[in-house]
Amino acid sequence: MVDHPKPDSSDFAIEVRHLLKEFGVLKAVDGISFELKRGEFLSVFGPNGAGKTTLIKILTGLTRPSSGTARVAGYEVEEGRPEMRREIGVISHSTALYADLTPMENLVFYGKMYGLECPEESALASLEDVGLAPRRHDRVRTFSRGMVQRLSIARAILHDPSILFLDEPFTGLDLHASNVFKEHLQNLHSKKRTILMTTHDVSRGLEMCDKVALQVMGQFAFFEDVKEVDKENFETMYFDAVRNNQFTMGIRQH
Amino acid sequence: MNLFLNQITAIVWKDFVTELKTRELFSAMFIFALLVILIFIFSVNLSVVKASEVGPGILWVAFLFSGTIGLNRSFMLEQENGCLMGLMLVPADRTVIYFGKLISNFIFLSIMELFILPLFMIFFNIDILEHLLPLLFVIFLGTLGFCALGTLLSSLASNLKSRDIMLPILLYPLLVPIVIAVVRMTGQILNGEPLSGMMNWIGLTASFDIIYIGVSIMTIDHILEE
Repeated sequence: MVDHPKPDSSDFAIEVRHLLKEFGVLKAVDGISFELKRGEFLSVFGPNGAGKTTLIKILTGLTRPSSGTARVAGYEVEEGRPEMRREIGVISHSTALYADLTPMENLVFYGKMYGLECPEESALASLEDVGLAPRRHDRVRTFSRGMVQRLSIARAILHDPSILFLDEPFTGLDLHASNVFKEHLQNLHSKKRTILMTTHDVSRGLEMCDKVALQVMGQFAFFEDVKEVDKENFETMYFDAVRNNQFTMGIRQH
Repeated sequence: MNLFLNQITAIVWKDFVTELKTRELFSAMFIFALLVILIFIFSVNLSVVKASEVGPGILWVAFLFSGTIGLNRSFMLEQENGCLMGLMLVPADRTVIYFGKLISNFIFLSIMELFILPLFMIFFNIDILEHLLPLLFVIFLGTLGFCALGTLLSSLASNLKSRDIMLPILLYPLLVPIVIAVVRMTGQILNGEPLSGMMNWIGLTASFDIIYIGVSIMTIDHILEE
């Protein structure tokens, strides 16, 4: 296997240029461009079907764009390099956890797949981070949704990635589990991890992030620093977009 | 190279631990294979037909049909909770996933075959012990080809709604050369013929094994991509 050198470090963790993903006539991602500096937290809001999940799938190398370019951690996403995957962690609707294995077995497995030197130690440390160490020998199948989501975090940060992609991570969590999850995210953000999160939860999304985007019909209709965002106006904008699934108020293409 | 092998081993280990806990795969495959043999035993009049003539076909039908159950289950496990996505996000070549699943499937099917062989010997009253090594060699070649192609196609079918139906439809026609070769060789071995007299069949089966694995290495990246 050729040992590719790590690309020049840049200020940007994520750089996206004119990204397009077409499924037949449908443009799931339609000409999106943006940059995210290292350590920044971007919340992407948008109605169902706006293309948020497709955007994450492209940026994590799970699917190829129809055109445009994306660089994550300095690597061209389309090249599909394992080195890029080592730099990212993903939490999505799917937990990517084996229900018949225990949390420990799941994390040791992923630790081996990431080539960690001591997968057992890393797994235990990650489980302690998310407060699941006492249940480490129970089957995942017996866990509540909130516990599974915390275990998903443990899986995603096991290899200490510099960039995290979170696809609607609050879905299905009750209030307590959401608050616990939020604390974990804030903790990760304080450790200078770059985070891109899609969510429908406007108050939580705005509270945690540095940058805000609103994705509608595949396009970024809004992309702004959170300090510049008026929460009430943004909520109105977001709910209009959800209601109409079309953004009609002062579209601002980044 | 070390990481490549460690990652393959990790997938095989994970499949084994899961199987040890659930015992779904082996029991389903074994019972199905046993039922196939029993049905044929009752439908074939062994006082008219020579057991060594019909036995090989029945044995391989049992192996391949029960193996298909295993292949379907194998990637279903990865689809549950999006685990395949988790595998695709790790810093590994996609061939790691293919080889990990291929080896798991091969080992599970081989274990099942080792349990079925003595029962086949008893039911058909065929002494396979004196031909055991050549027979195991042929079973190895046939099982490898079946798993090599089956793992690729089950990964392809795993994204389809009708995967249970699509896998056998895609798999069996492509397996025809191997099935003909291994059934012929098994028959010849049970009739006491030496392996040296079957070099053409051995060459054919080994060639298809290599072709299936080669094609899988070349295509698995595109097949697993959404």
